[in-house]
Amino acid sequence: MFQQPTWRLWGEERVDGAIYTVYLKKVRYHRPTRSASSESDDEISHLEWETVRVRFVKAGTVERLVEALATDDGELESTYVNVFLATYRSFAECSRVLDLLVRRYEALAAEDTLPAHAPAAPGADHSHQHRKTLVACLHVWLDTYPEDFRQPPHHPALQQLLAFTQLHLPGSELHLKVLQKLAVFSAERNGGAHVGGGVCLAPGMRLSAHHTSTYRLPHVPHRHFAEQLTRMDMELFKKLVPHQCLGAIWSRRDKDRSHDAATVLATVNQFNAVSFRVISTILVEPNLRPADRAEILAAWFDIARELRVLKNFSSLKAIISGLQSNAVYRLRKTWALLPKEKSELFEELARIFSEDNNRWAQRELLMREGTAKFADTVGENDRQLQKLLHERGSPGVSHGTIPYLGTFLTDLTMIDTAIPDTVADGLINFDKRRKEFEVLAQIKLLQGAANAYHLPSDAMFDRWFDSVIILDDREAYQLSCQIEPPTNPPKERRPRKIVDNNNQCHRKNDSIASTSSSNSSQFYCETDGAANAWKRDSLERRTSPTRLSHGSSSSSLPSLDVSLSSANSGQKPPNGKAPATSPAYANTRNGPDFYIIRVTYESDCVETEGVVLYKSIMLSNNEHTPQVIRNAMLKLNLDGDPDAYTLAQVLPDREMVLPANANVYYAVNTAYNLNFILRPRKSQQAEPVANGKPKNKRN
Amino acid sequence: MREYKIVVLGSGGVGKSALTVQFVQGIFVEKYDPTIEDSYRKQVEVDGQQCMLEILDTAGTEQFTAMRDLYMKNGQGFVLVYSITAQSTFNDLQDLREQILRVKDKDDVPMVLVGNKCDLEAERVVGKQQGSNLANHFNCAFMETSAKAKVNVNDVFYDLVRQINKKSPKEDKKPQKKPIKCIFM
Ligand SMILES: Nc1nc2c(ncn2[C@@H]2O[C@H](COP(=O)(O)OP(=O)(O)O)[C@@H](O)[C@H]2O)c(=O)[nH]1
Ligand SMILES: [Mg+2]
Repeated sequence: MFQQPTWRLWGEERVDGAIYTVYLKKVRYHRPTRSASSESDDEISHLEWETVRVRFVKAGTVERLVEALATDDGELESTYVNVFLATYRSFAECSRVLDLLVRRYEALAAEDTLPAHAPAAPGADHSHQHRKTLVACLHVWLDTYPEDFRQPPHHPALQQLLAFTQLHLPGSELHLKVLQKLAVFSAERNGGAHVGGGVCLAPGMRLSAHHTSTYRLPHVPHRHFAEQLTRMDMELFKKLVPHQCLGAIWSRRDKDRSHDAATVLATVNQFNAVSFRVISTILVEPNLRPADRAEILAAWFDIARELRVLKNFSSLKAIISGLQSNAVYRLRKTWALLPKEKSELFEELARIFSEDNNRWAQRELLMREGTAKFADTVGENDRQLQKLLHERGSPGVSHGTIPYLGTFLTDLTMIDTAIPDTVADGLINFDKRRKEFEVLAQIKLLQGAANAYHLPSDAMFDRWFDSVIILDDREAYQLSCQIEPPTNPPKERRPRKIVDNNNQCHRKNDSIASTSSSNSSQFYCETDGAANAWKRDSLERRTSPTRLSHGSSSSSLPSLDVSLSSANSGQKPPNGKAPATSPAYANTRNGPDFYIIRVTYESDCVETEGVVLYKSIMLSNNEHTPQVIRNAMLKLNLDGDPDAYTLAQVLPDREMVLPANANVYYAVNTAYNLNFILRPRKSQQAEPVANGKPKNKRN
Repeated sequence: MREYKIVVLGSGGVGKSALTVQFVQGIFVEKYDPTIEDSYRKQVEVDGQQCMLEILDTAGTEQFTAMRDLYMKNGQGFVLVYSITAQSTFNDLQDLREQILRVKDKDDVPMVLVGNKCDLEAERVVGKQQGSNLANHFNCAFMETSAKAKVNVNDVFYDLVRQINKKSPKEDKKPQKKPIKCIFM
């Protein structure tokens, strides 16, 4: 099954202000089929392949990153442009990037008009193409991220762009686009009231109608409730600005994120609001008969079930969370009154969000159903859900999907935590941004899918939603204790814990591996082993330079379904057999893009204080021994020259010292735990490395 | 010597690493270097008993959730940290505690609630009363600490050792390992 990789890592190339990763790629030339051709094999065989050199920005200064929007020969680097525009906010301000773009354009234009460069000069053509590419980037930017240019009240960036187009591109499409954007923004600013004018009546209506609220759990239409919750989620999800989910923006908790991550916050708030409503409706009347309370519980199960059919994983998870909240979860007597099939239903639904195997079930579902039309995938053991979907039978309705955003936020936070923003010399680590983009693109894709919902809004539902009394944790807990006084010692927690078939399979970097690997294939259907999508794309550009149309970054993404087959084929469902368990973890066919390794520092001086047993660092593809040692030193607070240290992997019977310049990612033995020892080089003699012999005492 | 496995949990940036390093090595770490998973070992004397603490310092609550269950299964005592300067870090702890109880499948697990950065009084947004209310609700101990000014740092860990002792007295561990020096399996 071993496939010859078509991409080979050639090495790194450093220029002033940037580092490139260089690959050698075999390019296949299409040959006519044998039958259609009369030529002999010999004649074409040596024309079949050519090796070309392709380079990708790995890291660079902002200036260099902006320059890289166009390739060396001035072509548009489509994937790169998308990644850049989706993520640049984490390393530069809008105005700075715009400034650099404009200046670059002007420099190229000046070059062009220089008398020395006669029309026939070789540079002219290239420069012209280059400038065209920069204009294309500006188009993509304006179309895809108009919010960047809003900057009320004066829209400075847009004004700058206007001045630029007036000077260099009067009457061009870009010029018109800028004018139009300006008009829209200032209309919004001046006449903002007009837009909302028609809604002025709404608050009054809401007030007067307040008393007529007629929904009352448990006797509510489940399907309708699920649809209404989905409508609320959908509105927020469609408004979600994906780049606000970036770890650097969302997860820096000590900072005020209410502004920078407002759309993320809005979905989180809605999620919590739904959970609160679950808790509150179950607890708020402490004197209810247990059977009646059980009915309310069951009503929420049924609503959750409908949400599953609607593929709204956000409210579904919110309801499950509410039901699993301590105050509700502990009501053993109430839970005990539920009929067996209801408890089964709950467990099946809760299993979707089980944390096992890094939320495998949920990811799998999202992958499979993200853009698929019907909710027809359930686990083999999910009897209740199967029954339901069977009853619903004939497909005919198509829905969108609303994901539980937390999964993506976790992935993005993890990427943000694990990968440094800058590499050596303070260059911006652009490989990190590529990784982030894979997740962002997935969110965008699902946003597109959410458009498929067509749900009417019901004002009465909104009134009900607003009228539910919210309990804080303490109140909820007190009410809960009033309903069922605590018994001590409480024996078993209800409901029974979700069966854990896969317990020892939590591997360190599950999520990183699954996100990065699962997404990398989503842009293109063919998968050839080691290569990532963006590499492939960039090459394709060489053969068909017009791949990217303006503003197509989200719409051009094919379905997520494609990625499932390749990305998860190495994994087994949680209720299946456990995957092969190599402690070092490698669960996807292509292997994860990085590992987490534990590094222990061993020196001769005996410490009397406490000690560091190990610290974990990230080991990504293409990191060579000196870089890994440097990372470990940084983490362990060691100063000095990386060459003064050796790094060895601890294997059961020996240590494997890494050669001085190995690609560590490939050098490590993933059949064992990724435990390493960093120690000062014994003497400064040349090359005491790579002996691989067992070292002194070790237990 | 008895070993105690302690896990430090809480949102990113609240000072989990700073507290741990202050306790283990007696220094304050100024720079913010997000943790993936670090492990420390320190021998202390609590109430006349020598104890070996193994402390696991973790990533923020919203990070690396895949690892979390595993920590929780293995941990015997938990330090739940928030920063008195950030409300959201306080709010996160409820879920965390519930996850611990679920994973351990017990209603009562040795635990200390810690409001860190109490040297930053001017930036306080979480009141001391709020902290102690939550601790009541959790039915666990509560302390405000400063990793920077060395306030209450040792007390957090000592208290946890006492709680573990109380819950499972004298469950002597396997033959003692060599102190210090790294140990791999
Ligand atoms: N003023 C003050 N700063 C602290 C304190 N504890 C931690 N910090 C700072 O807060 C930041 C985050 O701390 P860190 O321990 O890395 O947080 P962690 O993510 O929870 O491990 C660092 O810059 C620390 O220097 C404290 O008690 N007082
Ligand atoms: Mg930390």
